Amino acid sequence: MANRTDPAAKSIRGTNPQNLVEKILRSKIYQNTYWKEQCFGLTAETLVDKAMELDHLGGTYGGNRKPTPFMCLVMKMLQIQPEKEIVIEFIKNEDYKYVRVLGAFYLRLTGTDVDVYRYLEPLYNDYRKLRRKLADGQFTLTHVDEVIDELLTKDYSCDIALPRVKRRWNLESLGSLEPRRSALEEDFEEEEEKEDNDQPADELEDRAYEKVNPSQNRDRDYDRDYDRDYDRDYERERGRGRDRDRDRDRDRDRERDRDRYRLREEKDYGREREGRERDRRDRDRDRGRRRSRSRSRSRSKDRKDYDGGDYRKRHARSSASPRRHGDGHEDDEPKKKKEKKEKKEKKDDGTDHPDPEIAEANKLRAALGLKPLKV
Amino acid sequence: MIEVVLNDRLGKKVRVKCNDDDTMGDLKKLVAAQTGTREWYPIYKDHITLKDYEIHDGMGQLYYN
Repeated sequence: MANRTDPAAKSIRGTNPQNLVEKILRSKIYQNTYWKEQCFGLTAETLVDKAMELDHLGGTYGGNRKPTPFMCLVMKMLQIQPEKEIVIEFIKNEDYKYVRVLGAFYLRLTGTDVDVYRYLEPLYNDYRKLRRKLADGQFTLTHVDEVIDELLTKDYSCDIALPRVKRRWNLESLGSLEPRRSALEEDFEEEEEKEDNDQPADELEDRAYEKVNPSQNRDRDYDRDYDRDYDRDYERERGRGRDRDRDRDRDRDRERDRDRYRLREEKDYGREREGRERDRRDRDRDRGRRRSRSRSRSRSKDRKDYDGGDYRKRHARSSASPRRHGDGHEDDEPKKKKEKKEKKEKKDDGTDHPDPEIAEANKLRAALGLKPLKV
Repeated sequence: MIEVVLNDRLGKKVRVKCNDDDTMGDLKKLVAAQTGTREWYPIYKDHITLKDYEIHDGMGQLYYN
């Protein structure tokens, strides 16, 4: 009885609102003590009181996938379906951050695309710390704006599959939304102007970042290393300024870079590229070219290793001039020796196995400190 | 080399390649790399090898939560 949706509630996305939470998780919530004791007969008002008592957010944890009270309250909200005004009040309130996040989560699940962006984006300016319970039961530190970013960009949060919302630029091109204005826009516009005037833009930007978040300085080193994998580093980054830049540039540079980058990586389209743009705006073109060059360089290096030095040999043989020939040889010897050594090391690891699956498995095992697979 | 199948009864199935003389601890690490750490049923001791537990290729379906 307590588990049935309010008959007066409307269906969301064509289904019972409680179905937004998948079956297994739903059952786990219904069996949960917090749900049975505290969430019985809650109304919108009493729900606020319960929400004020929250002190962490999270999905399920432990071997049994126990739901957190946060989850139970989300479920309760789906059950009673408070009015939009009430949810917006949850989000607007400044005093209780967990109430805010609860409201934001509920709106993300049930609101229209335009509403989602309109009401959740102001929360990007909230820097407060939050406690999040992980799947293994431990707590970790996060912030309100990080959670909001997760809600707006990811498909899955707190063990609930988030319904699809249209991309922001989609809505902008439809005219339903205006381009995003970041709260730091004025600061960055000043920096931009300065940058356009002077050359040593590096320092300025870095100083700007220092202003926003000193812990991002170490990321500068990542940025300058072209051969590393950008995407991994970017996702690891948790600076707020960085996030904001990303969003800001997502909208700004989208027109400019859409064609250039869409073809390259569809998945990263929304985030990483624009953030990268923001860092080295004026030097982008050069960087872009350099980036691709370095990528092809590394690719050709792999080819070299694979062929066992044939690549270089072929090259040296093909050049006719005697002088070139001599140079080619000299370059060949040390390079061949190095490649042979590399190949030998790889063989011990087993990571150069012809079967790509096995090679991958061996790579993982080597990373964990295990011996390679015995085929 | 054997391939062990692990089932999370919520629909996630993971196939992990390993040696039969790998210990359970190693297997848990390999699984964790793919799906995240969980509790396993039945509860296996970490230092015993798969061979000793008689977990063979393909057949052995282990459950975790």
